[in-house]
Amino acid sequence: MAGNANGSIYDQVVKVTNVYLGPATERFIARQVENHLQKAPEELTKADLLSLMDWIKAGVSLLTEDSGIVEEYMAELRKLGEPANGES
Amino acid sequence: MPQITEQQAGAEAMFASIGDGAITTDEYGRITRVNPVAQELLGFTEAELIGEWFPKIIVAVNFDDSTIALLDRPITKTFLTGKPVVAKLNYRHKNGHNVPVSITASPIIFEDKPLGCIEVIRDITLEQEIDRMKSEFISLASHQLRTPLSAVKTYTHMLADGYMGKLNPAQKQSLATIISASNRMNELISTLLNITRIESGTIAVTPKSFKLDSAIEDLMPELGLMAKDKSIKLSFVTRDSYSTSLKTDSLIFKEIVTNLVSNAIKYTPRSGTVTITLKPRRADIMIEVSDTGWGIPKYSQDQVFSKFFRADNIIKRETTGTGLGLYLVKGLIGALNGKIWFTSEEGSGTHFFFSLPRQHRQPAKPK
Repeated sequence: MAGNANGSIYDQVVKVTNVYLGPATERFIARQVENHLQKAPEELTKADLLSLMDWIKAGVSLLTEDSGIVEEYMAELRKLGEPANGES
Repeated sequence: MPQITEQQAGAEAMFASIGDGAITTDEYGRITRVNPVAQELLGFTEAELIGEWFPKIIVAVNFDDSTIALLDRPITKTFLTGKPVVAKLNYRHKNGHNVPVSITASPIIFEDKPLGCIEVIRDITLEQEIDRMKSEFISLASHQLRTPLSAVKTYTHMLADGYMGKLNPAQKQSLATIISASNRMNELISTLLNITRIESGTIAVTPKSFKLDSAIEDLMPELGLMAKDKSIKLSFVTRDSYSTSLKTDSLIFKEIVTNLVSNAIKYTPRSGTVTITLKPRRADIMIEVSDTGWGIPKYSQDQVFSKFFRADNIIKRETTGTGLGLYLVKGLIGALNGKIWFTSEEGSGTHFFFSLPRQHRQPAKPK
């Protein structure tokens, strides 16, 4: 299951992304998950995160020239993949 | 390793010598390689392009000169879909003029990881010029065809109406066939002329307020006859939560509806149904034309509005048809600042939707 106490991993990715992409977020992330991972957004798991991040990074790098912002955004997404307290 | 170096040298030589422009980027969208054809096409030197952020230095604009949003640029779309994206647009040359190009953007993927992108660019200036000349020729030929056709129609009707004497049943039948064929030819000439007007940006739009439901009602007798010929049930529904009045060109509107409905009738088997639904909304009015016809195969759906396109499943059943109807409809809707889209399932039918905004503005003239 993708969900945890803080909402599904997809919701968390959307929340982090919203800071960077604003209104385009939902459409952008949903398309990335569906097209590159061939699964529905709600089926996203932590295990998919690294692969998803590669594609998000490539896509976002064509929306902003500032690679610093891209790396900052990637670092925020990477944190979502880290084990939470009590998780092995 | 010498083998890798040889492979690299081969790849470099191939990249430099291909006849189309080619540009590669890294994962941050920065240009890593550019071949001589691309440099020539865009007017930049290799040194001016390498390391630059692709979307910034290579400006992309539509053929009407409007800017293409970053999310809609092929290079971005290729990363959204993971597949090659083909598009025709203008790239801005270093000296400021637009170069019409056909491009294919593809992601560079290594071990499932996107490493960057390659864009192959072809200059289509000549192609566009030939297309323009072809349109001019069609326009001229169509005008020239209309004059003799008018004489054919006039005298055929006079014969059919008995002005030249009483006709026997076989003569009447022959004249009915001539009239029907000349009507079809007249329609085809009108379609060709309209297409050339749209493509050259000379279509006249005369906005006037009118009720769209009344305009559709006006068309129903003629459309009803077409439907009756195939025992198709044609109905018209209005969901009038908002006003059905709109300031737009009523003749163009009627032509759009006639084309979509006659198309639906044509591609629906006998005893099927065709429904026109008018849905006035706050900011626009949407019209849906749905049928229980043969539908459009999934693999052909992205070509539906292309010139001369006819789906495989239709060619097998209907030998007549030019593949110009939906291309024309899209152009006419564009002239009214509207939008068209559709959903279709092969074997189940098609739903065409178009919306016209309540605020009319002059559309941009195609370049």
